[in-house]
Amino acid sequence: MGRIAILDRIEHEHEHENRDAEYEKKQHRSESHVLLQRNPAMVMPASRESFQGGVFHASIPGGRSGATLSIARGELIADTISEPSLRFSIPLNQCQIDLGGASNRMVFCRTKEGDLTIFCEEKNFAKELDFQSGGMLAGPLKQLKKGLAADANRFRFWLTLSAVACALLLFVGYFGVLWTAKIAIRALPVSVDEKIGTMAFSGMEMGRKLEANHPASRLVQEIVDKLKPHASIPELKFKVTVVEDKDINAFALPGGQIVVFTGLIKEAKSAEQIAGVLAHEMSHATLRHGIERVSQSLGIVAAIQIMVGDVGGLVALGAQVAQTSILTSYSRAAETEADLEGARMLNAAKIDPKAMADFFEMLKEKMGDLPDAMAWISTHPQHETRVQSIQNHQKKLPVVQYEPLQLDLKAAQDAL
Amino acid sequence: MRHQMLCPPAATALRFELEQGESITCEVGAMIAMTSGLTVETTSKSRGGSGGIIKGLKRMFSGESFFLNHFTAQLPDQSLLIGPTLLGDCVHHSMRGGTMIVQGSSWLASTPGIEIDTTWQGFSSALFSGESMFWVKCSGGGELYLSSYGAIHSLEIDGDYTIDTGHIVAFEDTLKFNIGKASRSLIGSFLGGEGLVCKFHGQGKLYYQSHTLPSLGALLGPKLKAK
Ligand SMILES: [Zn+2]
Repeated sequence: MGRIAILDRIEHEHEHENRDAEYEKKQHRSESHVLLQRNPAMVMPASRESFQGGVFHASIPGGRSGATLSIARGELIADTISEPSLRFSIPLNQCQIDLGGASNRMVFCRTKEGDLTIFCEEKNFAKELDFQSGGMLAGPLKQLKKGLAADANRFRFWLTLSAVACALLLFVGYFGVLWTAKIAIRALPVSVDEKIGTMAFSGMEMGRKLEANHPASRLVQEIVDKLKPHASIPELKFKVTVVEDKDINAFALPGGQIVVFTGLIKEAKSAEQIAGVLAHEMSHATLRHGIERVSQSLGIVAAIQIMVGDVGGLVALGAQVAQTSILTSYSRAAETEADLEGARMLNAAKIDPKAMADFFEMLKEKMGDLPDAMAWISTHPQHETRVQSIQNHQKKLPVVQYEPLQLDLKAAQDAL
Repeated sequence: MRHQMLCPPAATALRFELEQGESITCEVGAMIAMTSGLTVETTSKSRGGSGGIIKGLKRMFSGESFFLNHFTAQLPDQSLLIGPTLLGDCVHHSMRGGTMIVQGSSWLASTPGIEIDTTWQGFSSALFSGESMFWVKCSGGGELYLSSYGAIHSLEIDGDYTIDTGHIVAFEDTLKFNIGKASRSLIGSFLGGEGLVCKFHGQGKLYYQSHTLPSLGALLGPKLKAK
């Protein structure tokens, strides 16, 4: 059995070593300088290394055996690891060198008759063979080197290709996940928006909240109640809060939480103008811009949380993002969308959408006087074009008889 | 250790007689029956071999499993019965050094002197042979047992030899392996039903199977009704 054969071989080697060691000891006892002369073969260059390879020869059972190879005295020597160990050799000047094997890096050394083949795949074997033969095998070995270089090139090519493929896959994967997240977020129930909105609202630092029965709160609430039946998401519970703040500002949180600053009510020229701002903010909620914004900010994190079903985690994170980013701004596209949807709601509620455009015009005129109070303007830029687009859009809306709001803006303003 | 093939080649099983202290490494799930004096050890590395998790993972790529089962006789005169997962043949190959490159899931068992590793067979071969990208590399000295769906035959190649892809079970690493067309024109070779073939060059032993599982699948597949 092969295993036993290997053991045998190792034992043989040990014997050799032992004998050598004893010999060395003897030499040591006499004179150390004669040490070099103990082996006459040392005069010739001999391979200090041995290599693991194999032999093909008809005399070996099975025709083939693994062998330990060495190069000495101008000969390639192979000691088979079979039992009993057989020794084969080919003079280097009779070697027919060939490359092949599964790796195409195996060096085959054949006799002219082709009855004996010694082969090895070790890298240093080719080098040693070249060195020992005094460059005689340079031709075939050069071919090997060329082959190795070609392999390296091919490897580099595939490596580059794989790297590019990986990058592409990552790219597609990343945007795929984001895209999936967008769809998934749209599929989330509105209750998620509400949770995010409520959480963000409670965590926000704001001025004093006016009582619900304050004339300003009642005015705003009545406008919201008038607009509510025309919201595109009927189940959304709009909750409006008036906050004491001199800034002309209003914003909507996801789920219908709307905050109006007293500054805005004070500066409004009519209840319709306030209705215009409220319709715009309510549209942000019904169009779910808040949660979209949250998903954009959280990106991959939100996507993963939705995919693993961790909506609670998304809500907590979303609330944090909403607090900081809703106040900054929505995208241009979202603003235009909210304007047009707001105009539709106003029209449906029999309020002239022109009031919304008027409010923007008024803000624009006021810019010079109140540069610090333009909070809403700063989050709602490009109002030059939006006035225009609201007016254009109004023409497409169904013609209705507008009814002026029966609300006392003056009383509300005076109460502030 | 002695072995005996039972019922070859259609439903082959291998019976081993182990002396005390002898052991054999098998594919996970290969064991059919054994005497009580054998212990089983499941690891990701070959017996006394290097590697571990990495080699295990590489092995998975080649179609083998992550773990290996090592059976060792603790008492004299133990016997172990193993067989391939599917119907098919088994073959015994005695290794005296050198390397045997074994296709995908054909490695069944080997004695501890044989190191089992995974080798990358190259892109082109993998793409066109329709086989796994990785093959199992068995090297060292010992007894190697291979299994395959079809009946396994062996051949001593000296020179060039062509074989249909998918029929290769194992070959010695002294053989060079190329993918080529069966006939001169590509269309001709597809019309001829041969498609692509493996061309061997060099000297060494080749094991091939008479029938392949994919061809059985291709034949049966369309006739099976979906449940
Ligand atoms: Zn807005």
